[in-house]
Amino acid sequence: MEFEPLDDFEEKLKRSFERWPAPPELKRRLMENRRRRKERPRWFALPREVLVAVSLSLGVGVFAALYSGIASYQHEQQREGEAARQQVLTALRITDHALDNINKQLAAHGRASQE
Amino acid sequence: MAHDWQPDFEQLVDEHQSMVFSLALRMTGDRGLAEEIAQDVFLEFDRRLGKMESADHARFWLRRVAMSRSVDALRRRQTRGTDRWVEMEDHHGIHAEERTSPLGARLEQLLATLPEPQRAALVLRYQEELTPEEIAAALEAPLATVKSHLQRGLKLLRAKAAIHLKEFVREKECVRGV
Repeated sequence: MEFEPLDDFEEKLKRSFERWPAPPELKRRLMENRRRRKERPRWFALPREVLVAVSLSLGVGVFAALYSGIASYQHEQQREGEAARQQVLTALRITDHALDNINKQLAAHGRASQE
Repeated sequence: MAHDWQPDFEQLVDEHQSMVFSLALRMTGDRGLAEEIAQDVFLEFDRRLGKMESADHARFWLRRVAMSRSVDALRRRQTRGTDRWVEMEDHHGIHAEERTSPLGARLEQLLATLPEPQRAALVLRYQEELTPEEIAAALEAPLATVKSHLQRGLKLLRAKAAIHLKEFVREKECVRGV
């Protein structure tokens, strides 16, 4: 395919495909957007090192909060388990004491019948 | 690398807004969308202004980004399945006839019916008068592919023009009562 010189049809295309004039408001809107963008606080434009440090601190903070939450939950579970165990032991001691009393009464009753 | 060129954003906008807008308009066929694309391109350009090494570099960058943003916008719109030029005339009140000759307007309409890669190559070739090598660089495509798009696009456009422009001439003659 030859690109030079252009034939008649290509010349017509060239003439037809001239640049369109940009709309008059394009530049005004653009400069307005540009001004607004420059006025906006740009925290994301902080140095990369600062953003990395902030992200890492946030990550560590979240991890620490999760870890302490889990540890506290486990501690609470252990405490509740221990309390339940103590209650069972107390109940067993009471039962043991009651049975002991009944045994003593039965023995006393047996001795009285023999006499 | 240090460079001496001191770009002036406003001056560069004045110089290149017509190019960026025309590329976007010919690629998308939608005046509103073309304006949006031009805005995005120039705002991105402003962010990268410090990296521009020369006027040529700036022009090359603007052309490349205008084309890629237009192609992205077209692909996002493809799902809608609307006819670009019908939409353009119906909703945006743009008439290709307003600036170019009626023949030129027909050619613009025919260009809009070409597949997007062929249209991109032809717009850069005939609007921007770029060589195939420059088009390949602007579209970030292999040279052989660009040459093929140019060849096929031109052939298709010629064929369509042969049919439609005959009808067009016949219509004009009927209107004139020839």
